[in-house]
Amino acid sequence: MRQNLCIKCKGKGLCGRPTCPILKKFKSIESISSKININFKSSDSIFGASPPAVFVGRYGYPSVSAGPMIPPFVSGNDAMALENPKKWLKIGIEDIISARSQLVRANTKVNVKDANSHDNPLLLKSQELALSKKPIDTEAWFTKPIKNELKFDGVLTPMGPSGTMKNFEITENPKVPTKVDYLIYDTDALAKDVVLELRTGNVPNEHITRLLSIGLLGRERRLVPTRWSITAVDDMAGKDHLQAIRDYQQIGDITLFSGETFGNHFEILFIPRSFSYELIEAWLPRTVWSGNTAWVGADHEGIDGKKGYSLLAGGYYAARLGALEYLDGIRRQAAVFMVREIRPDYWAPLGVWVVREAARQTLKKTPQKFDSIEMALVDMSTRLRTPYADWMEKAEMLSNVRHQRTLDSFF
Amino acid sequence: MFKATIDANLLKDSIESLSVLVDEARFRISPEGIAVRAVDPANVAMVSFDLPASAFDGFEADDSEIGIDLTKITDILGVVDKNEKVLMELDEMSQKLSLHIGGLSYTISLLDPSTIRAEPKIPQLELPAEVVLNGIDLRKAVKAAEKVSDHMLLVVEGDLFFMEAEGDTDRVRLDMPRDQLIDLKPGNARSLFSLDYLSDIVKPASKSNEVTLSLGMDFPLKINFTISNSDGKVGYLLAPRIESD
Repeated sequence: MRQNLCIKCKGKGLCGRPTCPILKKFKSIESISSKININFKSSDSIFGASPPAVFVGRYGYPSVSAGPMIPPFVSGNDAMALENPKKWLKIGIEDIISARSQLVRANTKVNVKDANSHDNPLLLKSQELALSKKPIDTEAWFTKPIKNELKFDGVLTPMGPSGTMKNFEITENPKVPTKVDYLIYDTDALAKDVVLELRTGNVPNEHITRLLSIGLLGRERRLVPTRWSITAVDDMAGKDHLQAIRDYQQIGDITLFSGETFGNHFEILFIPRSFSYELIEAWLPRTVWSGNTAWVGADHEGIDGKKGYSLLAGGYYAARLGALEYLDGIRRQAAVFMVREIRPDYWAPLGVWVVREAARQTLKKTPQKFDSIEMALVDMSTRLRTPYADWMEKAEMLSNVRHQRTLDSFF
Repeated sequence: MFKATIDANLLKDSIESLSVLVDEARFRISPEGIAVRAVDPANVAMVSFDLPASAFDGFEADDSEIGIDLTKITDILGVVDKNEKVLMELDEMSQKLSLHIGGLSYTISLLDPSTIRAEPKIPQLELPAEVVLNGIDLRKAVKAAEKVSDHMLLVVEGDLFFMEAEGDTDRVRLDMPRDQLIDLKPGNARSLFSLDYLSDIVKPASKSNEVTLSLGMDFPLKINFTISNSDGKVGYLLAPRIESD
C-alpha cells in the first residue's frame, strides 16, 4: 500500500479496504489496559457517569449511529477526566487509551435530518445529556452483550466498545451553563454564530463540538458526525480570530516557539508580515500512520483564509487555531510558519486534539527572537530530524514571505 | 453631494483597475473628480487612480469620501451593455449609492470608509530606466512567463528591454529592442516580480496602447497608463522579489 496514502487518510478507508489495517492493529491491544477488563458479558446493561460524552458516527451517512458514551462503574469526578484534553496532557499515551477505553458507546440509528424531530426518545435523551457541563449518572440497556474492543481514528479520541441500545435513562438533572441553555433554543441564529457566542462565553471546545454533533445548534439542525464537527468547530473558531487579527499591527520581532507533546514536535515561527499560515507536516518513519518511510506534506493560506478542505485534514485547522488564538491574544498580526514533526513516540492515534493542544502548549513556552528569518530557520532545523531540504522545498508560503519584498521597505 | 454620469464601459475599466488589488476601496470625491489610493493586504502592490470630472458626461460633487465594496459594482456592471450610460447618485443621509442604468436602478449600501485600510503613503522612488510599450505586448510576455514560472525578471540593458522567466526546468524570454518599443530611456535596471501580482495588473493595462514601465535595480516597478482618452490615470507600484540563489 502507498504509505503516504495512510497519512492522508488516517483510517477513512481511501485504500478501499473494508477495515483499516493500521487501526485494526490497535483494536486488539486491550492488554495495555487493566481497567478495560470489565465483564460486559455478565449483563446487558451498564451504569456509570457519562463525562458527559456523545458520539455520532459517520458510516452510512445520512443514516448514522449516535448515542451517549458511558463508562461502566465510573462516577463523578473520575468521569470528567475522560473527556478533558487538558487532563490528558498530564498522563501518558497508554493511560489515555486505557482511560478512554472505558467509554462504552451506546448506539441508536438516526437520520441526521431528524435532529429536531422529537420522536426518537433515545436521541432526545442524548441531546439532554450533551447539554451538561458536569458528569451525569446514566444507565443503558443493550440488545445484546457488548464486544470488548477499542476504536481508534485519526481525528477522534480513542473509545471503548460499542453496542446497540434498547433504552437509556439519565438518572439526574444535567447541569446546563446559562449560555448553552438559551442558545440551543435560538433557531434563528446560524450554527456558526452560536459557536462563536459559546466560545466567548468560555464554553470549552469539547462541549461545543458535542452540541454541534448531536444536532442542537443552528437553524436547520442536523446531526454532525463527531469527526466532522471537531474540525468544523476548529475552523469556525479560527476564522473568527482571523477576522480580528487582520486589523492588528504586525508583530514586532521574528519570534520562534518550540515544543513537543506526545511525539508531536512543533516549531512555530511568527514573521512580521500580513497574516498567512503554512503548516509543514513531517512524518518520521515508524509513527502511527507512516510505516517505514518518511513523508512530508504542506498546505498554506493567505490573508483571505482557506478555501476548500485542507489536504492535511483536521490537523491543519487544529494547529492553525492554536496560532490564531495566540495572535489574537497578543493583538498582533504575523505570517505563521509551522513545522509539525511527528515522531515514533506518537505510536497510537489519539485524535486531533493532540495537534491543537500541542500547538497551544508550544505557544506557552518562552520564545526566541531573531534578527533574520534565515537565522530562525537554521535554529529550527537543529531540533528537527527531517532534513532541512526536505521540508524547505515544500514551504511555498515561506518562500514567498522570504523573497517577496513589501512596499514599506522602500520609504 | 455627488451626482455623475459615466460611460458604463469606462466605469467597468475603472473598477477593474482597483479590484485587481483590493476588494473594497475609499473613493475621494471632489469637484475636480475622483481619486483612489489603495494598497493590497500584503503590502506588496498599490494602485493610484485618478478620474477627473472631464472624463464624465456630467459631474457635480462636493468634497466627500465614500467606501465601496468593489465586487458589488462589478456584479451590477456584469449585466449592463457596453455603450450604456450610468447615472450615479449619492444619498449622504442613508449612506447609499444609487446607480441608474437604462431602466434599471440599483441602490447599494456604502461601507464606512474608516473600516477600510487607510490610504497608503507613496514611496518617492528614483527609477532610472523607463520603457513605453503597447499593453498587449506586456500582457503577452506575462502570459508566456506564467507557463514556466511564478516570477519574472524585467531588465533594461543599453537599448534593450527584455523580460525573462525561469522555472525549475524551463525558461522563456522576450526581447524588445528600442525599435519595437514606443520609447526607451536607458538606465541600469534589473528586478524580479511575482507573476501572481503582474498577471492581475496587466489585465487592465493591456487595454491601453501606451503603458509606461519605470524600473530600477531590485526596486519596485511603476506601471502607468491612461484610460478614457488619456483623461483618467492609473498607476501601480509593485514591490520586487529578492532573487534567490
